[in-house]
Amino acid sequence: MSEAHRIAREPVLRLGTLIAVPVRRRTALVGVVLAVLIAATATATLTMGLLSVPLAEVPGVFFGHASPVALRVYDLLTGPRLSVALGAGAALGISGALFQSVTRNPLGSPDVIGVSAGAGAGAAYVGLYLPGFSIPLGSVLGAALAVALVAVSTGSGLANPMKLVLAGIGVSAMAMAFTQYVVYVAERDQALALAAYLNGSLNSRSWDHASTIWTVLLACAVPLLLLSVPLGLTEMGDDVAASLGVDAAVTRRWAVILSVVLAGGAVAVAGPVAFIALTAPHITRRLARSARPLLLLSGAMGALLLAAADLATQQIAIFEGLPVGILTLAVGGAYLGLLLVAEWRKKS
Amino acid sequence: MSHTLLAADRISVGYGGAPVIPGLSLDISRGEFVVVVGPNGCGKSTLLKTFARVNKPTSGHVQLDGHRLNRMRGRVVARRVSLLPQSAVAPEAITVGELVARGRHPHHTLLRQWSPQDDAAIAAALERTQLTDLVRTPVASLSGGQRQRAWVAMVLAQDTEVILLDEPTTFLDIAHQFELLELMADLNAEGRTIVAVLHDLNQAARFASRLVVMREGEVAGDGAPHDVLTADLVEEVFGIGVEVIADPQAGTPMVVPHVRR
Repeated sequence: MSEAHRIAREPVLRLGTLIAVPVRRRTALVGVVLAVLIAATATATLTMGLLSVPLAEVPGVFFGHASPVALRVYDLLTGPRLSVALGAGAALGISGALFQSVTRNPLGSPDVIGVSAGAGAGAAYVGLYLPGFSIPLGSVLGAALAVALVAVSTGSGLANPMKLVLAGIGVSAMAMAFTQYVVYVAERDQALALAAYLNGSLNSRSWDHASTIWTVLLACAVPLLLLSVPLGLTEMGDDVAASLGVDAAVTRRWAVILSVVLAGGAVAVAGPVAFIALTAPHITRRLARSARPLLLLSGAMGALLLAAADLATQQIAIFEGLPVGILTLAVGGAYLGLLLVAEWRKKS
Repeated sequence: MSHTLLAADRISVGYGGAPVIPGLSLDISRGEFVVVVGPNGCGKSTLLKTFARVNKPTSGHVQLDGHRLNRMRGRVVARRVSLLPQSAVAPEAITVGELVARGRHPHHTLLRQWSPQDDAAIAAALERTQLTDLVRTPVASLSGGQRQRAWVAMVLAQDTEVILLDEPTTFLDIAHQFELLELMADLNAEGRTIVAVLHDLNQAARFASRLVVMREGEVAGDGAPHDVLTADLVEEVFGIGVEVIADPQAGTPMVVPHVRR
């Protein structure tokens, strides 16, 4: 029996008598690696290029005693841009992890229920008919409207994943048609500005954008903590979850709501950046070989992916000036293709 | 004096549309080994799930030790009643040890996701289902029989006084079927109350201390297997002619169907 004791579980992290949480070694390792890579990417983003902070001054800018030039560059350019990239990436990663768990589908993402398409349509509507109104706000309202439409048309709210996906496909298609229409009838300059936003871009972000997304993340932190374990249990089926004392329908509803809020927040500050929500949780779960959704690590992975993609658009000559969303679309599309091939091979 | 542990009082249960169970009363006493049998779709699984607070009755109520189930918190019920449903899905990449450990969830809190009793309960559950050596094996790579035993182990790790099992012998070969039934009998002898849905009438008669026969959401027979399992009742409920003889080994009723050939 004592042998079984030792091999049956992972080490337990204990703080006093109040806190005791098992920690999987492999998950912890992935977490450490992600933290190191994020730190490296962040440092590179701040220090590379013409307008940058010298490496030696990086600690200084955080505490306000760097040279005035370095401080200015950080404050106006690289700082907010990096902060938005990390925040929006994290929000998208967590959002995707929630949605993939709810739908029990590794290809799930909040885009499936129309978050991006709704955001695009909202931005397009504001851009064409309400000049002067905030485009990010329009996109959030568009996303909210799309999700509300989906929730109404399922007849069972947000609790049934299959119906959500089906209704989402319909609503997404309508929203995209509307966006296409707007881009078609809009003036040329307007259409170009809109197209840049609709790809998802981190050009010229401000600290306002950064504080918006980090506030959303902070507000979601406690509900996410409460949801993490029950969400994993609902993956075993509603009856098993219920017999362990977890209401699967309530858990799923909250997961979808948080997923939409996080994705909406990311869309508001960075536009509908493609594929981060799909790939980040998927890669994370594979690396950690985890049987449960890894919300925090998926967030870290999303932050890393978006920050790294943004770094590439800033520093690699052929990508220069490209909206980061086009790069994530290309890379994410390739990843999705490989994934489908792998799944197909596994089944045949 | 009453030993009633679970009491269904005129419960109606359904999934929208006509109720699957239209007003059923059934008391389960502490220490019983109840086996529920009945034709497909008669409401056996629904009854079991209602006892586990998975389904909520549209009218009537279920009491656990005198307290209404739907006024108790799910986690509190789950510390006393466990259920092995038919619809269990193993998440991708989960190992046997991780799956069994999930049975401990009702004993945890948000900040205490591990309790000192966990190790002993998990180790005992693995040992009783002979899965100790497979603790690090992914559930996906187990045989059908091993997988079913892993789910049983998860329920055992939950360490509850009432254990509800919905067709636990499905996917098991005959040796493992009886091994599992003997395990249930052992658990029952240790004082746990068992309610199991089984399809095999002979196994039901052999292991049950009380046999409940259901038909169309109602109780068609209830009592000691010897009294309940008659040729008339089987014909009436299942619509098949049978002869009931004594099991040559145990003396319990044994059903031999009249079929052509």
